Amino acid sequence: MRILLDKFSKSFGDVRVIEDMTLEINDGEMLALLGPSGCGKSTTLFAICGIHKVTGGRILFGDRDMTGVPSQERNVGVVFQSYALYPHMTVAENIAFPLRIRKLPEAEVKRQMEEMANLVHIEALLDRRPAELSGGQQQRVALARALVRRPNVLLLDEPLANLDAKLRLEMRSEIRRIQLETGITAILVTHDQVEAMSMCDRIAIMNAGEIIQIATPQEMYRNPRTAFVAGFLGNPPIAFIDAVASNGTLTVKDADIRLPVPPNTETPPDGTPVIVGIRPENLGRDGDAPIRGRISFVETQGRENLYDLTLANGSVLRSIQRESDDVSLNDEVEWRVRSDQLFLFAQNGERL
Amino acid sequence: MNASRDIAQDGSAPFKARAVPARRSLGWLNSSKGLGIVLLMPALMLVVLFFLAPVVLTAVFAFTNMSTATGITGGAYQVSPGTLRVLSDRYGMGELAERLGQPTYIVDEEGLAALEEMGIEPGIIAGLRDDHLGETYSSRREFEREIRDLPDRPSTRTVKQISAEFSRSLANARFRNAGALVAAAEAIDPDLGDAEKDALLDATYTGWTWTTDNFRRLASSPQTTRVLLNTVFFVALTLTLFNTGFAMLLAITTHYIPERPAGIFRIIWFLPRISPAVIYVLLWKWLAWDTGFISAFLDNFGVRPRNWMLGSATNAWVFVILINGFVGASMGMVIFASAIKAIPQSLFHAASVDGAYRWQQVRHIILPHLKWPILFVTCYQTLSLLTAIDHILLSTDGGPGGATEVWSLWVYHTALNNYAGNLQYGYGAAMALVLVIIGVVLSLIYLRLFNYNALIIKPRIEH
Repeated sequence: MRILLDKFSKSFGDVRVIEDMTLEINDGEMLALLGPSGCGKSTTLFAICGIHKVTGGRILFGDRDMTGVPSQERNVGVVFQSYALYPHMTVAENIAFPLRIRKLPEAEVKRQMEEMANLVHIEALLDRRPAELSGGQQQRVALARALVRRPNVLLLDEPLANLDAKLRLEMRSEIRRIQLETGITAILVTHDQVEAMSMCDRIAIMNAGEIIQIATPQEMYRNPRTAFVAGFLGNPPIAFIDAVASNGTLTVKDADIRLPVPPNTETPPDGTPVIVGIRPENLGRDGDAPIRGRISFVETQGRENLYDLTLANGSVLRSIQRESDDVSLNDEVEWRVRSDQLFLFAQNGERL
Repeated sequence: MNASRDIAQDGSAPFKARAVPARRSLGWLNSSKGLGIVLLMPALMLVVLFFLAPVVLTAVFAFTNMSTATGITGGAYQVSPGTLRVLSDRYGMGELAERLGQPTYIVDEEGLAALEEMGIEPGIIAGLRDDHLGETYSSRREFEREIRDLPDRPSTRTVKQISAEFSRSLANARFRNAGALVAAAEAIDPDLGDAEKDALLDATYTGWTWTTDNFRRLASSPQTTRVLLNTVFFVALTLTLFNTGFAMLLAITTHYIPERPAGIFRIIWFLPRISPAVIYVLLWKWLAWDTGFISAFLDNFGVRPRNWMLGSATNAWVFVILINGFVGASMGMVIFASAIKAIPQSLFHAASVDGAYRWQQVRHIILPHLKWPILFVTCYQTLSLLTAIDHILLSTDGGPGGATEVWSLWVYHTALNNYAGNLQYGYGAAMALVLVIIGVVLSLIYLRLFNYNALIIKPRIEH
């Protein structure tokens, strides 16, 4: 079902968390609300499921205005960060709870509960209590409970935050599989760009209560709208250096470095201070613009090495390259950057 | 890190060598187990002194017939018309009682020696010995006639003195110990059998004795049933209506209202608990007296003033349960409220989006989480209500006409304070012991009922 937030605002007392936010989630789409903690992404989620009352604007499910509808009647499924499983009920009772509350016939309850348990692969655990389950199993039960009555929308609030690294990887693909299998509209709230990029059709990146950019993961990575977006996506993260436009090139002060203006970017007038963003994978042995510096840090990651390159003016760039041992700490090197992959930002962070 | 540790160990080596023998000398105190016992000692002594000893003493007293009449130390052997009647009625030794009760004069060496002591003329003593030694007289007059007939006729005053010395009657005599009583009785009747001696000792003993009569009496007394029913009625109603029911209502309503008014609301309901019992009950009495608030208010509507608390048994019960209930509700309220607060907020959120309205949240989320607190409050409050005495004592004192007399109050009235003045410690102790046993049995039943073992079972976590 299509979800529309229309000029939605939310404040707690005098604190305005979100103001006039408009966001549309298409039917069957999985959208990530990505942003640092405190940016209002969970507030948005709680407003959609009705736990928080909105201060202004409308929330539409399909064509139905849900703004004043209590959460009990919105038919949303929520997976909470802590899973919020009912500790006194068995797995089966947890999953069946939303159905029993609606007083469905017991045979129907059992059928749907078992169907859902099969979908999330927890058939064998139905008699256990949540305390007797591992984190990943609890996660699956929470998913099953959220999905069991075929909600209009599935809301996931940092669902992977409490899992260890291996389980996180596994559940990432599991949640996506289940979402695709059920074809449900889903919203994933997360601060982890890897989760957002790997699980979702589109990402809405938020900062300080505002949506900065909405795009597919690939588009957002290739074409960030602001320096904030560019800095949030990618691991290891992008590096920024200050430069000044002069004669159609970008001069990095006190470092004897000249970078060409990337294609598809209007050449800024001479003397304009700009911020150049260079992703680690675009700085290395290949490229067209030389950059000299001293290797100030080396981190071996197995397949790749991560280097910090300190320029003459003290700025630090990052480079990730195939593992090799021809350079070592404190070496002076001249590497190259692919100028078509540079990002140019104005001083206020807007992309040029 | 490692290197520095090694250095430190080397440096401490000489100290260690000295420290070892010192440690050894402490012996078992070195183990945490031994030290634990030492540290627990004061607490253990207090437990024994103030908790265990009273229970043990109660149990001991329960098997005695101690009362004001017997005292709590030993007694003496008192022969009286009453004890002689006991002898004939209870032991069927009427003939013995008659014999012992009669005034009896026996001329024996003991009496003669006493006369010598008194300085009676030797002639009279010799005459008595020669003519009458060993003779027994059943009346004073008969004996005194014999004395007057002696060759050395003594004066009337001396005759009285002499006869008194030979009086061997047991009537109204008091003996320090069993030996003296038996000796005196044998002087009258040398052929006393062992059974007769035992019966005599039992019947005349004034101190307390070991007995199981208290329990027999308790089992057969019609008042037992009445007081027991009163107690069950009082405990059940106060517990369900107030200590758990009303407390739950307060806790749940304050959970759903904002924090600040909720806090104020809870403090108001806490007032009965923190105000002194005497003042608290006095307020209720003012409310209910014939010149009190209720009467004054209803006077406006033409209702005649009366004592609303003691006016009828029903009224008395209403007040007793209200008074105790409001005191007890606060504890349940606090425990339930904190237990509800301990439920993660996300569970309520989850229940909301799962479609559960407030009442369903109470039923499916709150109540299951209150299982333990309810067990605790029920258990604790049953015991405290079973022994509740102060508020009832102060308000109705069991009245009107014993309508609100509960078990603990009955114990108090029997053992410590009653109109008859004979405080029956032993009987009261037996009643108290029954109360203790009921309490223990109830606790065990509660633990079973709530499936204690299942509640403390360890989780089987698997990753």
